[in-house]
Amino acid sequence: MVLTNLHPSFGKKAVYILDCAMCSETVCRRGMLAVLVADGKTELFSTDKYDRSAVGVIPEIFWAKSCWCKIQSLACLNCGAVVGYHVILPCVKCLKAVNNGHRCMFHNKFVSHCYRLDEEGGDFLLWKHLKPHDEDNLLSRECLR
Amino acid sequence: MEGWGLGTNSGIVFRWVRSSYCERKSIFEVMEEGESIQKDNPVVASSSSSLLKQYNRNEQVKILQFVVSKWSSFSYSPENIYVDRPSDQTSRWSSDSNNPPQFLILRLEKPAIVKSILFGKYEKTHVCNLRKFKIYGGLTEKHLIELYDGGLKNDHVPETFPLRYEIEGNPFPCRYIKIEPLQAWGTNFNFSIWYVELRGNDNWEDVKHCMNWYNTYREKEAIRLCLKHFRQRGYTEAFRELSAKTSITLEHPLLTQLHTILVINGDFKACEEYIIQARNEGMFDQFLCQQEYESEWTAIEPVNAKKPDSTSEARPGMRGGHQMCIDVLTETIYMFGGWDGNRDLADLWSYHLPSQTWICLSHDTEKDGGPSARSCHKMCLDYEKKQIFTLGRYLDPSMRSPERLKCDFHMYDIESHQWTFITEDTAAMGGPRLIFDHQMVIDIEHQTIYVFGGRVLTSPASSDSERSPEMLFSGLYSFHIPSNTWALLMDDCVALRSRIGHSMVFHPVRRVLYIFAGQRSKDYLNDFLSYQVDTKEVKVVSDGKSKDGCQAGFTQRATLDPDLNEIYVFSGLSRDKEKRDNVKNSFWVYDIINDKWSCIYKNENVGQNYWMKMQHVEPVPRFAHQLVYDHMRKIHYLFGGNPGKDSLPRLRLDDFWSLKLSRPSSDYLLRRCRCLIRKQQFLEMSSHEPLKAMAYLQNEVADMVDHSDPKETKEFQLLTSSLFPCPSIDDEAEPSSYNPVLQDIDLNFRKRTNLFNKLVAFFPDSMTQPKENLVDLVPLS
Repeated sequence: MVLTNLHPSFGKKAVYILDCAMCSETVCRRGMLAVLVADGKTELFSTDKYDRSAVGVIPEIFWAKSCWCKIQSLACLNCGAVVGYHVILPCVKCLKAVNNGHRCMFHNKFVSHCYRLDEEGGDFLLWKHLKPHDEDNLLSRECLR
Repeated sequence: MEGWGLGTNSGIVFRWVRSSYCERKSIFEVMEEGESIQKDNPVVASSSSSLLKQYNRNEQVKILQFVVSKWSSFSYSPENIYVDRPSDQTSRWSSDSNNPPQFLILRLEKPAIVKSILFGKYEKTHVCNLRKFKIYGGLTEKHLIELYDGGLKNDHVPETFPLRYEIEGNPFPCRYIKIEPLQAWGTNFNFSIWYVELRGNDNWEDVKHCMNWYNTYREKEAIRLCLKHFRQRGYTEAFRELSAKTSITLEHPLLTQLHTILVINGDFKACEEYIIQARNEGMFDQFLCQQEYESEWTAIEPVNAKKPDSTSEARPGMRGGHQMCIDVLTETIYMFGGWDGNRDLADLWSYHLPSQTWICLSHDTEKDGGPSARSCHKMCLDYEKKQIFTLGRYLDPSMRSPERLKCDFHMYDIESHQWTFITEDTAAMGGPRLIFDHQMVIDIEHQTIYVFGGRVLTSPASSDSERSPEMLFSGLYSFHIPSNTWALLMDDCVALRSRIGHSMVFHPVRRVLYIFAGQRSKDYLNDFLSYQVDTKEVKVVSDGKSKDGCQAGFTQRATLDPDLNEIYVFSGLSRDKEKRDNVKNSFWVYDIINDKWSCIYKNENVGQNYWMKMQHVEPVPRFAHQLVYDHMRKIHYLFGGNPGKDSLPRLRLDDFWSLKLSRPSSDYLLRRCRCLIRKQQFLEMSSHEPLKAMAYLQNEVADMVDHSDPKETKEFQLLTSSLFPCPSIDDEAEPSSYNPVLQDIDLNFRKRTNLFNKLVAFFPDSMTQPKENLVDLVPLS
């Protein structure tokens, strides 16, 4: 589980696009820069829902390094490299702490990141302006040009 | 060109490995006639319009009685399919596994010509409904042929499907019908069939006739297979005896002649002449038109070429949502407007293909008396009268004040460079309201423009509530140019659902509008409709359920070739349930006559590195691009679009491509045939006259090789090895050639036979010997 730097105002945080460091395929279009609840130090990216068309779950279940969360690794569907993990059962410590509700993480060193811009390309996209997961695609735009 | 696969037809053939299944004699009684027969054929699947004709033609069609004779497994009993009880959730056959093969075998009470099958359903959607299934039929359980391949909609509406019931135009009888579910609507769920009704003709007089024909047909084909086998193995007497006794011919006499010239006499010169004549008489035409297209992209201008500022004006800039049209008589492409990532454009360009030059006809059409800057408008061109028409546009929500929400309509006269303002608002003339992402085509002969679909832009102020008002879609309109009149042909309705981002093309000979795919709110349409402009009749060409067709697309671009009767579709965004909406480009051809889709170009690569490398070789994936087609020269042209990069949302493209689709020509085929013949002559020569053979190779064979083709060159070079005989490189001997039974057969005879088989493959099927070999029919178990 993660704790974001500015916990009461996640909305002001920027949205990141994350690419697999191995093959440069985009693995996540809704990344948030965050730190781990467990140690308050490790920087990583989290997301609300991982994209099944970009990453796949490796079935093996294990415990996170610094807490008792049960996790599974996520791998890039294009090249198979592990890019992060998702929490299938959070531990008590993490649940009690303030968190952003994201259960899916990408390791800093396994992904490259850049800011995502808004539809017009005018400014950085912030979480408060980000459309819900199921509407966040090209086809739900009014006009494609 | 490595790395991109030429697409094949997408129809996936499932071939399950048979495992053991339970076999029980049915104890079920045949249901009482009329017990569950519905008054009328409920809803005939749209694809079965031809089926209705068959009904009319043949009065004998009735509901056929059957019993379930075998099943793979069940959790609900198979006998439930005799009765149609849509409200009873237990009234169905259900398999107890979704592991293939799962099936039901139905035995008909009497042999019959089975023409259609109806599936009843549960009153609600159900995860166990068959998303994919196949139907087989035949006179015995072991010899079934495929009659249908398709799927059910996941709804409550019963569906009827036409079954294949003819071989070479003759009806054949079935005693057994096998239904094989392949996929359920819910993944990992078992298969259920609720109700089945078979229709056909079991009138014994008719069936007997078919039985006789069918038995004769099988007998005849068996003898032809024997004849082919005997001839290939050199059992000349057996061959003669059999053909004399049965008077069945193996092939067309012309091909027997070829066999004599080539295989028996080894007269290669006469053989070549024969092939040249066959080509000249059009014998290869059928083969050639069945060949798949190959695609060849050429960048017309260097992509991203750094040019000095002085010339940067000489070509149009980056854009998406622009319009292009082509004057095929002057070979000139016109381009107007678009969105460059920041603003709407109002520039008008022409590109003259023979001289390869862009000319900017207007930097600002509004200043020159034409339309204002715009994107997502539509344009069409009359190459007889040299006029261009443009209609519609997209407006940002902030711009939608009532005075702006008018649909202005403009005409550009190419020869006088003059714009004519036809009307300030087509809606006031009975035409469409202000729309975007519609389609517009012109019928040049009848001077009529057709406009279909598009979203109607409305004023946000007109609805008081905060909620976005119901989306409005525009219907089908026509505009008669000489009389300056608009007419509403069909409003948005169920028969002709309006939409945006679809394709529409006009066939000037058949006088039909073809409408395909698009989006309507959250529905992604994949249907394919035709509208006959004279009779105003709407027909469903395909309901989009079949997996064989072009994938559901949005912002795809389509063109039509009236001479070849083909429609071309270059996909934009594809909507795939399993995958993220991706910008992946593919190119499809629809054969209007044969009602057949094929994919001729597909590039599924999405990696940024890959496209960085390939951007000069073929167009990067995109949407909001423009495609025009020169049907005289058979070349497509593509310009610009939006590459859909999240990291660069304002990026638009300015690359310009031509796409040529080519099939092997008859000249190519002829050269290949002659090359094969000369190769054989060389091989025979090399064994006894090596010196003469070498000269023959250097001259005659070399003449028939395309030395620019690496594969052909390699093949040619390898031929020299036969001048130096060595056991390890002994020809392409089949393993069977070491069989003691076959040892007596002359090696040359065998090779000539192989060559003969290769050559006859280019002739029409109706003329040739059977394609199959008798030895391949021998079971190995």
